[in-house]
Amino acid sequence: MSDDGLHFLVNVTGAGYHRAAWLDPDVPPGSFIDVGYYQGVAETAERGLFDALLLPDIPQQNAGIATGPTQSLEPTLLCTALAVTTERVGFIPTLSTSFNRPYNLARRVLSLDHASNGRGGWNVVTTAAPGAAANFGQEVLPREDRYRRAAEFVDLANRLWDGWEDGALVGDQQSGEFADPAKIHPAAHHGEFFDVEGPLNVPRSPQGRPVIVQAGASDPGIRFAATHAEVVYGAQLSLPGAAEFAREVRAIAAAHGRDGDQIRFLPALVPVVAPTEQEAAERWEHLQSRLPPGPTEAARLEAALWLAPGILGGDVDSPLAPEIFTHSQIPHEGFPRAAARFAAETGYSAREFARHIAGGHRLVIGSTQQVADHIEEWWRAGAVDGFTIAPPALAHDLQSFVDLVVPELQRRGIYRDRYPGRTLRANLGLPVPANPFAALVDTAK
Amino acid sequence: MPERPRQLHVNVNILQAGVFGGSWRFPGTGPLSSYRLDHYLRVARKAEAALLDAVFLADGAAIRDNIRYRPTSSLEPTIVLTAIARVTERIGLIGTLSSSFNDPFNVARRLATLDQLSGGRAGWNVVTTADAASARNFGLDQAVEHGLRYEIAAEFVAVVRALWQSWEPGALVADRERGVFADTSKIHAIDHHGAHFAVAGPLNVPGSPQGEPVIVQAGASNDGRALAARVGEVVFTAADTRAAAREYYLDVKSRAAAFGRRPDEIVILPGLSTVVGSTDAEVRQRRELLSELVHPRYAIGRLAGQLGLPEETLALDRPLPFELLPEPEQATGSRTFHGIVVETARREQLTVRQLLHRLGGGMGHRIVAGTPEQIADTMIDWVDHGAADGFNVMPDVLPEGFDDFADQVIPELQRRGRFRTGYEGTTLRQHLGLPEPAYVRPRAGAGSGAVDE
Repeated sequence: MSDDGLHFLVNVTGAGYHRAAWLDPDVPPGSFIDVGYYQGVAETAERGLFDALLLPDIPQQNAGIATGPTQSLEPTLLCTALAVTTERVGFIPTLSTSFNRPYNLARRVLSLDHASNGRGGWNVVTTAAPGAAANFGQEVLPREDRYRRAAEFVDLANRLWDGWEDGALVGDQQSGEFADPAKIHPAAHHGEFFDVEGPLNVPRSPQGRPVIVQAGASDPGIRFAATHAEVVYGAQLSLPGAAEFAREVRAIAAAHGRDGDQIRFLPALVPVVAPTEQEAAERWEHLQSRLPPGPTEAARLEAALWLAPGILGGDVDSPLAPEIFTHSQIPHEGFPRAAARFAAETGYSAREFARHIAGGHRLVIGSTQQVADHIEEWWRAGAVDGFTIAPPALAHDLQSFVDLVVPELQRRGIYRDRYPGRTLRANLGLPVPANPFAALVDTAK
Repeated sequence: MPERPRQLHVNVNILQAGVFGGSWRFPGTGPLSSYRLDHYLRVARKAEAALLDAVFLADGAAIRDNIRYRPTSSLEPTIVLTAIARVTERIGLIGTLSSSFNDPFNVARRLATLDQLSGGRAGWNVVTTADAASARNFGLDQAVEHGLRYEIAAEFVAVVRALWQSWEPGALVADRERGVFADTSKIHAIDHHGAHFAVAGPLNVPGSPQGEPVIVQAGASNDGRALAARVGEVVFTAADTRAAAREYYLDVKSRAAAFGRRPDEIVILPGLSTVVGSTDAEVRQRRELLSELVHPRYAIGRLAGQLGLPEETLALDRPLPFELLPEPEQATGSRTFHGIVVETARREQLTVRQLLHRLGGGMGHRIVAGTPEQIADTMIDWVDHGAADGFNVMPDVLPEGFDDFADQVIPELQRRGRFRTGYEGTTLRQHLGLPEPAYVRPRAGAGSGAVDE
């Protein structure tokens, strides 16, 4: 648990986390490709002192476009567009290690970092979707291979980012010395997946390096998070599960010589908040009522919980058997694991389950006090450093969270009342990494 | 009513601190400014105030030892252009991206994104990237052979353009009553399987506000001219005499005709390095100073690299070692510059020092040093003699030298009725007078196969 209070990211996708969010007449249909709409979201997040916007992404046209907006604008560019018109909030685009080239990706993320004066990050994904691979003439690699590639990719990106020591640019107009090549180091990387000579053509980041973010859930994913990530988000449904996950990641990190306390755990949270419990429940009902009705209540719940069709046998009120999630329809390992655990811990029926889980993430419907209680409880237990807020309707529900929950958390003394720094790293309370090239020189002296 | 005289098109190439090797040392210049976003925003705002067609960003994906003496490309161009899009409203945004070291889906998506974010102002300068240092950043020992690079580029552009046509007009429905957001029967896969790329599509960005981003190309070799004639809508070229520019202009436009393209569907813009002064004496002095500020080691190293010769074969006070020069067709670097530099040195029997002075870091582009009236004369002369449709202006010093160009040369062109006095359109395509490409449904493989499940 970070001793500097809570941290929040906001998950920025389409009209929001709820599939029916775009049906709200207040959301113009073109919002998903309108920078003005995202600007409003960034301003709200900055008003709420959020650490950063996190933009999920996949390089393909998702079939879901038939029934709602999907990811469209390229995230490093959208982040840049918003960085120019904000001051403090950070930007974390999602970029795949399977469908990018290290030199280009490292350069673009570092360029975003410079354009934002040190507010850039990178959410590392390996992308398992065959449709995305087909846009790059590839097939999806097995998971182990994908993560090995990701590890090499991120190590290489860090090395490229470290290539320039501070003070490499001289700019001495008198002598004509523009830069000191002795302070600019090639990566000279020759690995299993990549050969990159370097150096990068972009100087060192104002925050040392962009922040590495990741959502580890499978075994290789958890290992990757522990060895590479500085911020870990992802699906955590229950407090004991979240606490155990953080302990596990920190232990693996320590075994690799990292300080586990310098990893921020910010699992996703879908808040539906209103001044009273009653109003919050109505808000949720309002969103749900806009979804196309399933043929039966059981079919609707099976779809909502990514269960195999028909597996409930029409029974929506008995406690769910944890094993039922083994046959989950979601292509990620994290959710079935967390859902099985949540079922065992709570004994919830399918109907109750669907009031606590939305789209694979923890859903909390309640009054300002209730949502703040949930957040405070998890934070005080040391399970999390904060949350990645996934607003059901992006603009509306983020605004409710910032207007209602943020002041309440501030009153409780567990959330800051101003930004502590100017960079993403400073706001997350993460240290500026030492430059190993510079350290080498120091040792040599 | 008299016919309106031909209007010039003008872009500014924001080439770091200026086109000359010593521009960053020019008095009053922030030496490190080109490593900061503000520099680009400032020039772009000025360019928009001066009603230019576009800002242009060259690019390279490597640094070499020459960074010891001058700035190189740094911040990634689509990032910089996106930032510029946010602080401007009309000016076009042209970025350079290599067809050798990118993937078509990512390029198509980034440019489509820039186009959406800017309301239809994006352009893509397609380069094939000839240098070995760049190749080594992408897993290769050296650049791919010249002819093959252009073959790859042609397929790359075709794939990108097909992806840009993924969404038919009217695909975005947003029918709240029926809960239908997009009509996926109007979003098409491209199912491309070519010699160099396999790309399924569709692109996940809706159609462009200007039909498609504008394709920009710069090629002087036979392969380069062929590609420019086939796909280039704006062609950026290097020519240091009007006659050479004229030859190029006629050649590319006649080659384009062979592809069924009209001459006015291609806007040819030679690079023009500008040195603006109010009197002849001031111009001479400024030009002199800019030459002195180029570090000689840098100048020799760069020339040697361009010519494909070891640095030690060049001596400042001797002629070029013509006998050591590779034939242009065997040159590994850019043939455009190679041909022009050697031709100039031979014709005028220049020593290396004289040649460097002549090039002044401009490297084969026409340098026009003069008063605003003289510069306007030259620009109009080239256009009226069928050598250019306008210019890609490469100011001597940025931002200051461009301020002079914008404040003095542009008004001079306007006084003569040769440059717009207000933007007439909102998109880059409209500024350039280019037609919007008609929607052509991509020739997909079997079935509508609209959306990847």
